[in-house]
Amino acid sequence: MTAGEVQHAEEELLARARTGDREAFGDLVGRYQDTVYTLALRLVGPDLAADVAQEALLRAWRALPRFRGEASFGTWLHRITVNTAWTLRKRARRHAAEPLETDVEDRGLLPERAGELAETRAGLRRALAALTPGQRAVVVLRDVYGWSNAETARELGITEITAKVRLHRARLRLRTLLEGAR
Amino acid sequence: MRNPLCSLASRLPGEWPAAAAAHRGNCLRCQAEAARARTVRRGLAALADDVFPAPGSLKTAVLRGLGKQDAADARRALVARIAARHAAAAGLAAATLVALGAGLLRRHSRALG
Repeated sequence: MTAGEVQHAEEELLARARTGDREAFGDLVGRYQDTVYTLALRLVGPDLAADVAQEALLRAWRALPRFRGEASFGTWLHRITVNTAWTLRKRARRHAAEPLETDVEDRGLLPERAGELAETRAGLRRALAALTPGQRAVVVLRDVYGWSNAETARELGITEITAKVRLHRARLRLRTLLEGAR
Repeated sequence: MRNPLCSLASRLPGEWPAAAAAHRGNCLRCQAEAARARTVRRGLAALADDVFPAPGSLKTAVLRGLGKQDAADARRALVARIAARHAAAAGLAAATLVALGAGLLRRHSRALG
């Protein structure tokens, strides 16, 4: 299937899901559940990630008739995931730094990723896990997912200045943690 | 001894002021620091390629939990609630003003009469 055909198939699934077709939505869930889960894992850690992913996909289903396609479906789903992660995290009151992807890194790594690259990534994941939840969310959205300051601030419900300050502090802390790990 | 501009430059968020930028242009320590920062940012960007498999039960749980879809824009409902609250507050303020005005008028007419 070419990229164009994949896009076309997704648009068809979206059109059907928007009118309440559960089977079509199931296919969309199959396509996006891993990326939604990964984002949730990076934001809230393994304890809450599955709950966040499930709630985000359910919210997406409810809101689907309002999806206008201004952003891609993936971007829209990611926004919902960030929003859900923030809501559930607040509810769970888990403000302390939690062990994050370090618990699951072996599961996602393929054998060919072994070596220095995998080590660097594992080090980064450990360092990310050591940040405060607020710093981690900003650095994940800005530096891992490439969101703008404005988007990051809007989805996290903070001002752009706060987002910039958190990002700067998070990057400094990451560098310190990585240098300390060497 | 470390140049104070080195530590200042490394701690400034966002755009660097001209003096700090000029300093970095000539300072090997700051250039090395900036290179380390770039390496971390590149490493973080590369993490985007790592996708972790969702638990096998996720899709089933989502499909089992699907309820009704909601075409109404939640933001409109919120705007309507806020508008209703403001209208109620304005009504209350107007009623208070009318009552105060009436009281003053009564006092005034009593004083005259």
